[in-house]
Amino acid sequence: MREFDWSVIGRSGDLLMAGTRLTVGLFLAALVLATALGLILALMRLSPVRPLRWFAGTYIWIMRGIPVFVTLLFAFFVARDLPGFGWLTPIWAGVIGLGIDGAAYKAEIIRAGIMAVDHGQHEASEALGMTKAHYMRRIIIPQSIRVIVPTYMSNSILLLKATSVAVGIGLVELTGITRQLSNSTFRPIELFTAAAFIYLVLTTVLVLLQEFLERRFALKT
Amino acid sequence: MDWQLVWDSFPLIWKGAQFTITLTAWSLLFGTAGALVLALMRLSSVKLLRWFAAGFGWLFRGIPLLILLFFAFFALPDLNVGPVDGVLLEPFQAAVLALSFWTAAYQAEVIRSGIIAVDPGQAEASEALGMTKAHYMRKIIIPQGLRIMVPPYIGNSMTLLKQTSLTTLVTVPEMTLLTQRLFSNDFQFQERIAALAILYLALTTVFVVAQQVMERSFRLKV
Repeated sequence: MREFDWSVIGRSGDLLMAGTRLTVGLFLAALVLATALGLILALMRLSPVRPLRWFAGTYIWIMRGIPVFVTLLFAFFVARDLPGFGWLTPIWAGVIGLGIDGAAYKAEIIRAGIMAVDHGQHEASEALGMTKAHYMRRIIIPQSIRVIVPTYMSNSILLLKATSVAVGIGLVELTGITRQLSNSTFRPIELFTAAAFIYLVLTTVLVLLQEFLERRFALKT
Repeated sequence: MDWQLVWDSFPLIWKGAQFTITLTAWSLLFGTAGALVLALMRLSSVKLLRWFAAGFGWLFRGIPLLILLFFAFFALPDLNVGPVDGVLLEPFQAAVLALSFWTAAYQAEVIRSGIIAVDPGQAEASEALGMTKAHYMRKIIIPQGLRIMVPPYIGNSMTLLKQTSLTTLVTVPEMTLLTQRLFSNDFQFQERIAALAILYLALTTVFVVAQQVMERSFRLKV
């Protein structure tokens, strides 16, 4: 008969916090990369130039069709051997793997948001003599934000949880440190419960942020 | 890149596909059954059931799948509550357990939103005709909700198939684990990982095609 010993969490507190910091860091860096690449891919898919549309469509099909774990393996084992990628440390491989995978989802979300803006807005902007680059930036994209926010945020919650997959390429983020601690202390129940709790706190913060942003961008009627 | 080696990798990696596919199938079966129960609980008039189902969804959608897998594999053998004294599962069983809970939480949302999307007039009309709730849910509401559920249901199932790759980390010998074994022997990272990606792409494309076929066959004929 084994008793629970929750004091192990207090004794592992510093390491769990270090793991949490890496999880949050990976998440934020991957989110920036995914959003920037996703915006570029979305604009390519909406471009009148066929090769651009075709390239973005293929990229999205591939990235959405393979597991993020495989993308991470690619970033970790393959990309570092490519010329000019000598700087690719495991952490950067994690950021890039998560970022290029996330970009495919962000691209579809941004594209759907842009397409949801009434077509009359394009026509009106053109009638006022604005260039396409100008009215996309000033008229269309700002209006699409309202449509983009809910799906963008729930997708970002998935990205936060996907950072745990980085344990598969040896990163010691929250899941990785928990596994190591559980192996050395033989307290898997207590430690994995603590990790689950930390993830729940992080994802719940994002849910609250989503609700705040949805209210902030709601149409005032 | 040596394409001959990519080609030669296919049969070796494909041996793991039986695990990828059976993991997906079993988890989808158990997960969907659980999801249906959870969705009906969310829509129940009993507050306790609604709370339980909402709490389940919040918990299992808020924790990464990998934590669930590690919990099922590393922590359950230590579980000691009441008459339960350690639940020791094979890697495959632990994987199906974790994936089923995860699937149930996500598909419950799909089923629930499909049901609430059906015009409430349908429920009222059924009641006016003297049908019981159990009867009209089964014969009137759920069949109409199916049309709305199918696309996200298949999308989630495709995500499930991709997520089975994580069971590598609890030593289920599926495609990703076999690939890692291959490239840790011969260091042919590019070719082995490319072959793995192509196999996953082939499997997930089946879902995309299934989705399009189903959407067409469920379209309203007007």
